[in-house]
Parts: sequence; C-alpha cells; structure tokens
Amino acid sequence: MPTLTIDNLSVTIPDGSTIFEAAAQLGIVVPHFCYHHALGAVGACRMCAVTVVEGKMPGLKMSCMTPAEEGMVVETDTAQAMEFREHVGEWLMTNHPHDCPVCDEGGECQLQEMTISSGHGVRNYRGNKRTYQNQDLGPFIAQEMNRCIQCYRCARTYQDYCGGRDFGPMGSRQRVFFGRFTDGMLESDFSGNIVDVCPTGVLTDKTFRFKTRLWDLQQAPSICPHCSLGCATVPGGRYREIQRVVSGVNVQTNGHFICDRGRFGSSYVNHPKRPRQARVDGTNVPVAQALNRLRDKIAGVIAEHGPGAVAFVGSGRASLEANWLLKQWARSLKCPAPVFELHPRRGRAIRQAVGPLSSHLASLRQVRKSDLVLVIGADPLNEAPMLALALRQAVREGGRIVVLDPRPVDLPCVFEHHPLTQEQILCLLAGRCETGLLNNLLSELMTARRPVLVGGSDLLGGVGLQLLGHLTESCDNDDRYCLIHPLLPRVNSFGGGLLEDAPQEDLLERLENGRIKALVCLESDPGSEHPEAGRMQLALSRLDYLAVFDCLPTHATRRADLLLPTATTVEGDGVYINNEGRMQAFSAALQPGIPIAAVTAGQHPPREFMPETPGSQPQPAWQMLQDLLGERHSVTALRRAMEQSEPRLEGMSRLQPGDEGIKVAPQDPEPVEESTVEIWSQDGDLRLLPVQSCYGSEVASSLSQTVTPRLVTPRLMVHPQEAQQRHLQEGEDVTLKTAHGLFRLRLFCDERMATRRAIVPCLPGTPLEIFVPGGLSLPCDIEGGAS
Amino acid sequence: MMELLTAEQLDKFTVQVAGLEHPRELIIDLLRSVQDNHGWVPDEGVALVAKILGLTPLEVEEVATFYDKIFRQPVGRYPIHICDSICCWSRGGDALATHLREHLGIDFGETTADGLFTLLPSCCLGACGRAPAIMVGQNTYGPLTTDDADRIVDALRQEAQG
Amino acid sequence: MKQTEQLLFKNRRPGETAFLKEYEGSGGYLGLKKAVREMTPKEVCELVKASGLRGRGGAGFPTGVKWSFFPAENPGPKYLVCNCDEMEPGTYKDGELLKADPHQLVEGMIIAAYAMQIDTGYIFIRYAYKEQFAYLERAIVEATEAGYLGKDILGSGFGFELHVHGSAGRYILGEETALLNGLEGKRPNPRSKPPFPAVRGLFGRPTTVNNVETLANIQHIVNGGAVWFKDLALTVEGAGTKLYGLSGHLEQTACFELPVGISLRELIDDYGGGVWQGRAFKSCLPGGASTPFLTADNLDVALDYQTLEAVGSRFGTAGVTVFDDRTCMVAVTLNLIRFFARESCGWCTPCRDGLPLVVWLLEKIERGQGTDDDLQMLKAQHRNICGNSFCALAEGAMGPVDGLLSNFEQEVVDHIQKGRCPFTA
Ligand SMILES: Cc1cc2nc3c(=O)[nH]c(=O)nc-3n(C[C@H](O)[C@H](O)[C@H](O)COP(=O)(O)O)c2cc1C
Ligand code: SF4
Ligand code: FES
Repeated sequence: MPTLTIDNLSVTIPDGSTIFEAAAQLGIVVPHFCYHHALGAVGACRMCAVTVVEGKMPGLKMSCMTPAEEGMVVETDTAQAMEFREHVGEWLMTNHPHDCPVCDEGGECQLQEMTISSGHGVRNYRGNKRTYQNQDLGPFIAQEMNRCIQCYRCARTYQDYCGGRDFGPMGSRQRVFFGRFTDGMLESDFSGNIVDVCPTGVLTDKTFRFKTRLWDLQQAPSICPHCSLGCATVPGGRYREIQRVVSGVNVQTNGHFICDRGRFGSSYVNHPKRPRQARVDGTNVPVAQALNRLRDKIAGVIAEHGPGAVAFVGSGRASLEANWLLKQWARSLKCPAPVFELHPRRGRAIRQAVGPLSSHLASLRQVRKSDLVLVIGADPLNEAPMLALALRQAVREGGRIVVLDPRPVDLPCVFEHHPLTQEQILCLLAGRCETGLLNNLLSELMTARRPVLVGGSDLLGGVGLQLLGHLTESCDNDDRYCLIHPLLPRVNSFGGGLLEDAPQEDLLERLENGRIKALVCLESDPGSEHPEAGRMQLALSRLDYLAVFDCLPTHATRRADLLLPTATTVEGDGVYINNEGRMQAFSAALQPGIPIAAVTAGQHPPREFMPETPGSQPQPAWQMLQDLLGERHSVTALRRAMEQSEPRLEGMSRLQPGDEGIKVAPQDPEPVEESTVEIWSQDGDLRLLPVQSCYGSEVASSLSQTVTPRLVTPRLMVHPQEAQQRHLQEGEDVTLKTAHGLFRLRLFCDERMATRRAIVPCLPGTPLEIFVPGGLSLPCDIEGGAS
Repeated sequence: MMELLTAEQLDKFTVQVAGLEHPRELIIDLLRSVQDNHGWVPDEGVALVAKILGLTPLEVEEVATFYDKIFRQPVGRYPIHICDSICCWSRGGDALATHLREHLGIDFGETTADGLFTLLPSCCLGACGRAPAIMVGQNTYGPLTTDDADRIVDALRQEAQG
Repeated sequence: MKQTEQLLFKNRRPGETAFLKEYEGSGGYLGLKKAVREMTPKEVCELVKASGLRGRGGAGFPTGVKWSFFPAENPGPKYLVCNCDEMEPGTYKDGELLKADPHQLVEGMIIAAYAMQIDTGYIFIRYAYKEQFAYLERAIVEATEAGYLGKDILGSGFGFELHVHGSAGRYILGEETALLNGLEGKRPNPRSKPPFPAVRGLFGRPTTVNNVETLANIQHIVNGGAVWFKDLALTVEGAGTKLYGLSGHLEQTACFELPVGISLRELIDDYGGGVWQGRAFKSCLPGGASTPFLTADNLDVALDYQTLEAVGSRFGTAGVTVFDDRTCMVAVTLNLIRFFARESCGWCTPCRDGLPLVVWLLEKIERGQGTDDDLQMLKAQHRNICGNSFCALAEGAMGPVDGLLSNFEQEVVDHIQKGRCPFTA
C-alpha cells in the first residue's frame, strides 16, 4: 500500500495501482482517452501524462502506465505536462472534421471535454485532413470514421472484453480504420457497448440518431428488466418515448457493460398496443373509477363465495413494492396469499434460490473472478447474456468453464461442453448414473480457489437446484464457500419468491375445479406463463372475473374484465431483487404517455388539443395498490414498512437508484420443503425441449421494434444424427408432432447438442409460444415433407 | 495466376496448421502464398486464409492491411517498388521515379493498361549501397540509371510476351 | 585501404555465398563445438558479457547483460529470435552479412540458444531479402544434416530447432515487441514493457531478441576469447569490429567490416572514396535514419557508442549516410520524417498524428512558405514528441529533427527568410 503525493495531496492506494488511479482516488481527473475502467491502460493515446517529480524514474510519465511507488511525488500541472497534453490535443485534432454541430455525440463528447482540458484551443495545422469511407454496421450502430481519434477502445471492448471477432482495427499509420471485413450487422450480442466506450461520435446508437441532444434527454438510473441478472442501465427518452438505453455502472453486477437485448430491447415502452387506458367491461374509464370498481367487485365475490374464491397472482416482472402490496391486499381480504410464479416447477426453483441456496449466492463479479465455473443446465447467451460476458472475463483471468447442457451452447470464450440431456444432468447431480464425469468435476471443485456453479432454473427446476446446493456444500471448505449463481426466470423472480410464505397449490387446478371465481393478475399473464398454456387459457375462461394490472399487451390484458395500465420500469420507481438476492432500486426516467411522434403522426404542432397528456394514465402498480388499500405513503415510507414486515429486506429503504444494491439477508437455516421428486425417463424416443432465445422469448424485448432485426424465427433444432435417421435435411420444413398439436417448422442441425432432443424456442406471438420453458422434456416426433 | 492456393499448398498448410500450437503464426506465409499465386490477395484469399487458420476474415484482414507488401487491391504482374528513402533519394531516386512514371505513363498506385506494371513508392529496400534502387516483385535492382530502368522494364515486357 | 581483421566478412567474396563446406573450411562451427563440449551455458554467457559486445540492432544494449537476465532454468518452451527486419534507411549490413555467409548466423544462434538453454529459434527476415531467406533455409538444412541443429546437437544432449519467418514489409517490425506480435500472426503493434520479452515474449514465453550481426559475433568470441574481441576495437570502451554500411554522397557506397572506433574521416576518405564529385562533406547520419546528423566538426570523432553520444548523436547501426555541401538539410529531414510517419504503426498519438504534423511543417518550410511561428512550432513538436511515444520509433524519428535544429537551424531560418529553399535555383 504505497503512499504518494499528487499535487500536494497525500494518498495511499493498493499495491499495483497506477498514478492515474491514485489521482482518481483524490478526485483528480487526469485527461485520458485510451484508459477505461473496464478495459485498463494500454498507453496508446498519451493524454494522461503527468510529471513525476520524485521517484525511481522522474520525468514526464503516462500516469495510466506508471505504477504508484512509495514516496513518489507527482504533479499533474507542471508546465511540461501541460504543454505535452496540449500537443496531444493538437495531434488528435489534426484530422478531426470539427462537425460538432451535427454530431450525435454532442453533449457527451469526451473528445470535446478532453481537448478543452488539454488546453488545445487554437488550430495551427492547415493541411489536408484524412477522410474515410464509412461502413454499414447494421441496424444498431452508426459509424462516422472521420471523427476517430484511434484510442482503440472500441476494438478492445468488442474483441478483448466481449469476445467479438468481426470488428477491429485495420490498416496502420495515420489510417487505422475500425470496422468489419465487409459491411453488415455486428455479430456480437454485446455490440452496443462500443457506443458507450467511444469517446467521440464515431460509433453512435443508430436507433437513437437525430432524436435528442443529451442535455434534453431525460435519464435516470435503472435496472434492466429483461432477465434476472439485474444489470444497471440508464434509460433515456424525450417526447414521451424511450429513445435509448446505455449501460449503468455496477461493479457487483454488470460492471460497465450491458448486452444488446438490454440496450436495444426497451422500445416496448413505446409499443402502440401497450395498455394505456383503464378499462372496465370494454369501456375506457379513469383509473380511480376502475380501482373503485375493482374494490367493489372483489368485495362482492368474497361476500358471495368467500375469500377462497379470489386468487391473486403477482409476478417476477412486478416490482417488489407492488408484489408486497398485493400480498397485503390479499391478506387484508383474508384471501389466500398470492402466487408469485405461475409455473410450478419454476416456482420451486425460485424457492430453492431464495431459501436454502441464499447463503451461497455468487454475484456476477464473483463469476468474473472465479477460477472454475461449472455451468449446469444453462445457456447464458440466451437466458442471461451478461453472464456469458462474465464467464469470458473469468477465462481471460485464467479461469476454466465447463458446461453441462443439452443445447448447442455458444460462449464468447473457450469452454468445455458436455451435451447431456436434462434428464442425464439431473441423474448425474442425484448421483444415480454415470459418475466418472461428476467425480472429476467434484475433485476440480474441491481444489478450485473460487469455484462457482451456475444453475439454470429452467432446466434444473427445484430438484436440480437443490442437488446443486448439496453439491456446493460438499465442496465448501474452511477458506471459502463454493458459490452458486442461479438463473431465474425474471428480473424480480427472487423478490416474488421471497414474499411467498408457503408454496401454493397449482393455480391451474384451483381454476379448473371452479373454486376460483375472480382472479387478479399483477403484471403476469397466466395464459403464456403456465407450463400448460392451453389448459390454462381454457381454465381462465371459466372465471367470473379477471382483473389485470399490466404495462404489456398480453392474453390477459386482452380478455380482462378490468384492466389497469401500469407504468414500465423506466416510468416508475421500485426495487427488484436479482438472481443473487441483490435488491436494487430503479427510478423513473420518463412520465408515461403516448409518444408525441405517435400522437401527431409526425406532425408538429399537434393538431388536437386535450386537457391531459394522451396515454398518461399508467401508474406504477404499487401506487394503484396503495390506493386500493387506502394508503398514500412515499416510496421510502412504503419501503420502511416492508422492512418491518419482511426482516430479510433490511436495508431496502436505504437503497438509492444507481448504487450497488444490497444483498438480502440469507434465509435462516431451517428445514426446507423437499421438492417434489421429478420423474425422468432416460431412454426412448425423441423429446422436445422448449428453450428461451435471447431475442424473441422474453416478452418485453420481443415487443421492442428496435430488436426486430435480431428476432429468431420459429425453428426446430436437432442433432444431425436425428435428422439422418429420419432422412431429413437441414433447412427443410418439417412437421413437429406433439401433444399440443402439429407445427410446421424449419429444421436446423447442430452437432454440438445432445442427441434425442428436439429444441424449439418459445416465441410469444407465434404458435411456439405454447411451449413454455422450464418444464421437463415432452415426447414428440418429427416428420419430413408434406405431412 | 488466378488460383489462390494450389492443392499441394493447401495440403501442406493444412498439415502444418494441425501440428502447430499457434497456427496463427502462418498468417503471413499464407497471405504471401496467395499473393504469389494470384498476384494480389482478393477478399476470397482473406477468407480462405481465415478458414485454414480458424480465424474470422476480419482477424486476417487486420493483419493483411497492416503490411505494405500484401496487396489487397489488384496490381500489375510486375509491381515496381521505387525506393524513396534517404539513400536512394540522395542519389537520384526522385528523378528515377519521375522517369519511370513518364516512361510507363502511370502515376504511383496505377497500373499500366496492359496490366503489366504497377508503380509503388516504397521505403528503404535494404539496397542503400546500390542507390537508387527498385524492387520488381521481390527482385532488387540497383544502382540504376534511367536507361537501366528502361532496360529492366523492356526485358520484363519481353518476358511477359514470350 | 588498411587491411583490418575480418571476422564477419572473412568469407565474403563478390557475388558468392559461403555455404557449409567453405564455412567449415574457414573454421566454421568450431565455436559451437567448443561451446557445447567445453563450456557450460553460464560460461558462455559470462564470456559474452566479458567481451563487451553490444547489440548491433541499433540500441547498443550489452548482449551478455541481456542474456544474463534470461530465465534459462525456466522449464517449458523458450525462444531465441533473430531480428533481421533491417528496414531503417541507411542500414543494410545484415543483408550483406547473410548474402556472404549465412552459416555464421546459424552457428551464432545455436551457441546463443545453448547459453540461454533455448529450444526454438526464429529468424525474422524482411520481405525484400528474398535471396538471404533462401540462403538461410539452405544453411539450416545443411546444419541439420551435419548434426549442428536438431534434438541432440553434437551429442551434447542440447537440442535446438530453427525456423525462418518472412515478413511482409513494415519498419515497425524491427522493434522487438512488434516483431514478436508479427511472428505470432497478430497486428504488429509494439507491446508495453515491462514485461520484457525475457519474461513474457513470443507466445507468452521467455524470449531473447538479438540482431543478426550481434549473433554472428558469438562464435568468434567463443573462439577468440573476450580479451581478443574487446581489443579489436580502437576505443577503450568499445569491443569488436562493426559492419559499416556506407551510402549517400560518396564515391563508393559499400559495406565494410572495420574496428569499432574508427574515425568518421577515415571511413569516408579511405573506404567511401571521399565525398562524390569532388564536393565537400556537409553532414551525415552516423548510424541509420534515426541518428542525429553529424557535421564537418565531427569528422574526427571515433565511431563508437559513447563517443557519438558525447557529440549528441548515436552509433545506431553504423549505417553511415553522407551528404555533400549542396544538400538541403531541411529536405533531408523531410525525407526522413516522411519515412517515419509512413512507417508509424498507428498505435500512439505522438507518432501517428504528431509525425504527419512535422511532415506538414517541414514541407511548408521547404516550399518557402514557413514562418518564424512554424520554426517555433517545429521546436515544440520536437520537444514534445521526444521521449513521449509508446515505442522508440517516434523517438528515433526525432533524431534527424534534433540534428537539424541543433546543427542546421540557420538553414531553416534561411528558408523562412528567403521564402524559398536556398539550395534550389
Ligand atoms: C522502430 C524500431 C526499429 C528497429 N529495427 C530493428 C531492426 O531492423 N533490426 C534490429 O536488429 N533491431 C531493430 N531495432 C532494435 C530492436 O528493438 C532490438 O533492440 C534489437 O533487435 C535487439 O538486438 P541487439 O541487442 O542484438 O541489438 C529496432 C527498434 C525500433 C524501435
Ligand atoms: S511510436 Fe507509437 S505509433 Fe509509432 S510505432 Fe511506436 S507505438 Fe506505434
Ligand atoms: S490514458 Fe494513459 S496513454 Fe491513454
């Protein structure tokens, strides 16, 4: 821990730090370009020069590359350093087109800031400027190479950090070009990060082009709602529309980057079909009226059929506050507690994570630092993309990744893949079959210094996660835990699970046997979330009354007797708990409302005038639920009340949007429900495995027009061996026969997947939406040609 | 002339790649072989090299575009590199270049209509003691008078015809 | 012309190349035999250290000292890389050496590898050296057949394999870390040091990079001994002979092996045949394009590392480029800076964008459109580029500018005041 002096201030920093980092700790920002927190120092731009007055090697030094030494004396503002940095500014600007007035980086241009801070203000160079021809990098990212200052950050982000292999530096000398071999869409699922790291207007968000200047952008720290990792984001919008999302910084979770689904998947907020109006029996009404009606209606059902006739469904999409209030409401009516996960098997998995595993949960940061990660029954790029990036960082630091999964798993790093079926994995974990592989892995786990087990809840279910829990415990030792990083179905699945008092009976049965007359759904859609979606839709039609709170257009909102439009994540405040039990707050960047562009059909000024903002009815669900309960507390007061009632939420009221979040207390060790034993059959015929696909399966992003170019089409994937046996060709249209009916699908083959399995992505809005992931594999068959 | 790699070369490289811990070290060898066969390295050449080495075309392009003597654009059958570095410059390199441009009727970076010659400025050829020097393909000539240069060009023309 | 002791050019005959038979006939591979049979690796290192041999690639780092940092005991692959990029204008000695006598390098590398217990070697050779490439390949085959290369060299149990790697033309590959990236098939930008190649070099393994001439000296040192080698030089600090490549405005521009420490005057008059066309000497680059100019005042300086540093220049590669009294030094500098700007790898700002700015300034001055401000700007560019680039390329590029400003500033002022280049009619 050397202590050194920078600009007459003393600072002590960890060994191995640089002068740049020491200065940063003192709040001194040394101008820089190529240095980036997440990417480290490479010493290319030379902007960060400072003078080492006393030290082993005195003189002008690049602060990002020079280790801080004990007793060193550094000055950042010597004449020598200032003159040099001014020249760096001059050199970098020789070829710059000075097109700031029309540049999309305006307002957040590091080049402007650093040029000013370098002191370079007057241009002496009068020669020709180098110009480039730009490439078309696809629908997400615009390129304007003339503005490039060759800091290499984009390439270091895209290739080194994210593992992309189709974008990088070409050429040399003064003509280095950053791009692709040929025009075309960037292939990486993390391509958008090059926009965030580019210090100038070369790489900008094409979907945000020409929309808003930064100083007019409404932004707020938020949490990405598209998977259970809970990455930090900063959504921004204007004119009542979400216009872009950039990465937030949370060193515990995503670090500095996010995936493209998180970045480009948020325009569902602007979706034209989004519920915007409260509706009662097909008629639009003010929210207050609908709430009164709901209160009366539920009271009526209880009066007539008793409290058992009303069921409440919370969800992993709803905020912790809303779910908690729903629970309070049910309790106040003496109705059964809400169900927070409609999919029973997924529910059991969530309970495992929230309960027995909660003392062993690993953050993404811990995954990045791990030396051995076993990924079991998980497909990171499709289920939780930023996990894939975390795995890559583990590998870059020398860690090893082993994947057990039937899918043809892709990762942006080297890894070992064993394509076992779901049943084989569960068998293996239960110690019921072939143990050689398990034994090898176990002995590796025992000796690893920072082992992490990733478990996908869809494939493993409650039983699998429970077995994983046993496994970690047996690999714990005195120095360290063997940690678990479970993937859960939704952004706040953990929160829902935590609020659950006792496992509920399957809602489907309760609906089918007619015991339930009225159903209240909070940001959930039973007809697409329950594993037996068809049966569920039928059962729903037996209801007397369906009330739905939601911000997305779903089956439930369409057939609701009473609809209350809720605010999306970017329009309200709330808390989500991610898959490692981290509570994180988000805050509203925008007010709900129909985008001006939509209201005016592109005309300005609007041709119609009305007293209130069109489409501004949606409110955060928790506000409406408070109204129902006759309360009006501030968020903080509400969170305090929640802490009181749920001790594990201790700290919740201290959360600030944009902070690192607080982990919920682990559950006290107590006997846990033994999950229902799952039956698996090993052998026999082809079985269907419905899975999540990064683009298309998650509802909100699939409704986002911006990601349309990436959406997967309905398809069927088998091992080439299966195709061969059935005399089928890759690329042909085949018929998938299942208990749910026949489906015509394009056949894909991949030899990296398990045999005897047919994989289909669950795609809401297509016939394949019926295959909800998270269950056990189903019998099926495939036939070629015109059947 | 148009083949990217001969069957034997392909076999040789494939075997070599299989035996190497870091096959990427062959990237220049491969690019140079493609160029020797084809005269320059077309996009398909980059793609082929990438395939052999298990790289993406971009990864090969990053390297290919760094080097001066890998041509990613068509050049004539005889690319003429005229040294413009200090030793040749000090002994009439400029005049030689001007002469060749006039004699061939092309500027730097251009190819004669018959597709035979491309004129390229080059940094020091390692022939400083034989200045002014030029390199045609990989053969270096120097010291050259303008007459010498004409003779070389004429001889190559004849070679091309014969 | 005095006859001086010839080690490296002993077998040099006009238009001929010595292969195994001639090489062995002149005492070739005796050094190797002696080293592996009679000496421990450590002793070889010590001997080279004692000989005072300094790197001939331009930087002049003491070779034995460099070797002594090498983790010879480290298990696993280790590499010896011979740097034959030789693309600095004015430097062509390695090419001459390999044309004359390629086995010298092969033998030197084997002994060096033995001294550092290295198992694999690469000779990195520039694109233009097509013949030398072929000669080396032949020499390696011959040496392998004769048992000098292979798994068990001369029954010593020591094994070494050697490959030749052809480059595709860029000066930056001469920089040793850029060279390593190039060898690995990556973009040849330099790497940051530390870690030095001895710690993490080729493919992340311990690596020593040496120049052709450096390595070719090794067997002579082993044969003749450290004292003998040191005494070959004419200066007290110096050691050995040096290949001097003459170029520019001389009657004879050829490469000679002469003692370290010979005077510039002797070199020019006796070996270069004097300045051409009977003109007077104005200036020279003493050691390649990156070494600051000398003037007529320096004609009697001994050509060696310390002595040249004392007069503000560097020994470099001893590629001496001479300019006569009708030469415009602004134009010379412009030519040199154009070279460096064009050869920049594009990694760091001072080099990538700073050198083109200097080119622009010099062009303006040379055209007669320069102003006093431009001269001040030129000085500021020089002051700020020096010492502040990522690798030594841009630093080297400032050598000529340094020489221009310290020895020929008046010439720059003349351009500005006359509004034209005083050397054109
Ligand atoms: C831009 C640049 C170009 C260089 N070119 C060469 C070269 O062509 N040959 C060479 O031997 N060393 C060259 N060097 C020096 C090498 O980096 C390295 O110091 C040398 O190869 C070490 O060998 P030595 O100690 O035997 O001289 C160059 C250095 C720089 C910075
Ligand atoms: S000085 Fe900088 S840009 Fe120039 S060659 Fe070295 S690293 Fe590359
Ligand atoms: S930030 Fe230090 S060199 Fe770029």
